[in-house]
Amino acid sequence: MVTVDTAVAPTSRTPGQEAGGLTPGRVLAWACLIAIIAITLFPFYWMLRTALSNGTTLATAGTSWLPVDFTWGAFRRVLGLATLEEAQAEGGTGSAVDFWVYLRNSVLVAALITAGQVFFGALAAYAFARMKWPGRDAVFFVLLTALMVPPIFTQLPNFLLMRDLGLVNTYAALVLPFFFMTPFAVFFLRQFFLGISREIEEAARLDGAGHVRTFFQLIIPMSWGPITTLALLQYVQAWNEYFWPLLVGSERSVRTLTVALGVFRSQTPQGSLDWPGLMAATLIAALPVLLLFIAFGRKIVDSIGFSGIK
Amino acid sequence: MKRTRRLTVIATAVLLALVPACAVERPPAESGGWDDTGEVTYWMWDANQLPAYQQCATDFEASNPDIDIAIEQVGWDYYWGRMLSSFVANSAPDVFVNHTSKYGDYTSRGLIEPLDELIARDGPDLSQFVEGTGDLWVGDDGKRYGLPKDFDAVGIFYNATMIQDAGITPEQMQNLTWNPQDGGTYEDVLARLSVDVNGVRGDEPGFDPRNVATYGLGISYPPGGASGQTQWSFLTATLGWSHTDKPLWGTRYNYDDPRFQDTIAWWRSLVDKGYMPPVEQAVGNEPSQLMQAGRVAVVTEGSWNISTFAKLGGIELATAPTPIGPRGSRAAMTNSLADSIAAGSPNKGAAWKWVRYLASPECQSVVARGGVVVPAIASVVPAAEAAIGAHGLDITPFTRHLREGTAFPYPAAQHAADVETIMESATERVMGGSADASSLTAANEEVNALFTQG
Repeated sequence: MVTVDTAVAPTSRTPGQEAGGLTPGRVLAWACLIAIIAITLFPFYWMLRTALSNGTTLATAGTSWLPVDFTWGAFRRVLGLATLEEAQAEGGTGSAVDFWVYLRNSVLVAALITAGQVFFGALAAYAFARMKWPGRDAVFFVLLTALMVPPIFTQLPNFLLMRDLGLVNTYAALVLPFFFMTPFAVFFLRQFFLGISREIEEAARLDGAGHVRTFFQLIIPMSWGPITTLALLQYVQAWNEYFWPLLVGSERSVRTLTVALGVFRSQTPQGSLDWPGLMAATLIAALPVLLLFIAFGRKIVDSIGFSGIK
Repeated sequence: MKRTRRLTVIATAVLLALVPACAVERPPAESGGWDDTGEVTYWMWDANQLPAYQQCATDFEASNPDIDIAIEQVGWDYYWGRMLSSFVANSAPDVFVNHTSKYGDYTSRGLIEPLDELIARDGPDLSQFVEGTGDLWVGDDGKRYGLPKDFDAVGIFYNATMIQDAGITPEQMQNLTWNPQDGGTYEDVLARLSVDVNGVRGDEPGFDPRNVATYGLGISYPPGGASGQTQWSFLTATLGWSHTDKPLWGTRYNYDDPRFQDTIAWWRSLVDKGYMPPVEQAVGNEPSQLMQAGRVAVVTEGSWNISTFAKLGGIELATAPTPIGPRGSRAAMTNSLADSIAAGSPNKGAAWKWVRYLASPECQSVVARGGVVVPAIASVVPAAEAAIGAHGLDITPFTRHLREGTAFPYPAAQHAADVETIMESATERVMGGSADASSLTAANEEVNALFTQG
């Protein structure tokens, strides 16, 4: 039975650390840590403070630490709970955010991209890491070279391709360019697959397992940590993707949250923005990714400290 | 093995799920069609006007049950980029709100439908529109590409409490004068309204221009680009300067004219004097919010933002007309938006019905009651003035230009997008202090080369 130990290897501790004594070094380290956390979290606090302010009076107290003229109105506007009159009375416009539609689109698109990339990326990584075939290293080199091509170069040809396929403003167009694999995903998983012991694979082959079985029953179960990490990274990236969805998925029915927030931000030339509405929507839009991190954060740390196979 | 098969089945299912989407057929954009039923997609950028046009759509659908109107609001920053990609992708809206500065780029490519024959056949009577607004929509090929829906003018918003504290009267604000040498009473007022962190005013000894608490004049950034619509065009025009050799569809720009460059140099000098925020403070801050925060006392802005200013809580605002120039008259750039039909629309018949309704007194009365913009139909203008006035701001400083004949049109021209790109970076360099106003001569040569190269 092959088992994978995903626990972080124990490190040796000095007696002083065990006692938890307050040395000046520790105090300094904690102070630095707290300062860094405070600086990191401050933008979120400021977003929350703005989201809870009244848009019509927000700028009268630009430096106030507390919400200006406290109201839940911005959240109500974003979630479609406020009437037009209520929204306009609090600095909103006639524009509504169809939040649940855009959320559904974002979740669907990010999930499809993640599933595709991880699955096909793992297949390719397996081929590059564990199989021997002529020209393998040359192909891998070419693939890695693709990492160097800035995505903006491929946007226009991809867009024209989607147009010719008649896919503009469909989920397929949003997902396809990212669906099959990215050089990063292949490279990332290949590095982990390379570290897997060859003896185990050879033992499986002696037992009669082919490549397909080895891949699904041996390699994949042994690599759950890195696969989860990759999935999370790809999900966050797909969630944050902006330019491509703007190009091919701008219609309301397939519009993702990032595009929707961009449209919401810019309304009329030189007009006032509904800052509380924008901040409320952004905060809510960040929640799903935050929840994912809470759920799988441990897994990422574990996979980074991946200690190999016993 | 079971698991392998299951995963293979899932992967195949995902791929198959994508196939039906590939089979979606889209209408060919090149030809278009004249169906008079179906869904008409309509794009607009101003979210403040959305409720009024939504009401127009509801009313229109009630009398035209075979036509559905799907309104989509796309913010200004993305509007034209998305429009272009939609034309490329054959997914352009059937009808869209068009802008004078942009439509030349569409007519030269045959992307929008000329309306002359339709107007001759079905109306509307073009004399119902405010004088000059209809003319803006006749392209350089002599064809008409839109029916005007509203018009804009430029004026001054000011903090009434601040001018009172500064000892300036509302009458003085109504009769400001300006010249590029000493700035006239306009500069005097801006100096008086500027207050440094020690409470010293801009016209008092000891004023610190580098530590200003309240600036006299707030600007929107970027600084006007090719047109300077709300930033400097109302000043340059009082000197007799015009953007191009002809009011509409000119082919030679005049950014090398000393009158233009003197105005920009004077305008730029307000930053050094501490009467106007430097670039780093202007970028990313809307003038309306700087005004609400008490950071600026005066803002020159377009009439389309009146309701935005009127809604600002916590401060008392008033309006004034643009200053009188050396030739003894004021000036203000006016512009008119119009609705245009995409040449590739598969149901141009229905689109035309909708455009006609948008330009009708019925729809524009609804828009007027919305109290956001002034409709282009002359008979509806008083209703709009009253509705916007109900916000507590007087709109006549903006509309007087039309009555007094001091309005001049937005300079429609070909290559507008390229001209804008060149002039935006050129004026930004001047305002940022990295170039002198005389550098605009080189920019002008670059702009004019666009027309000689064809």
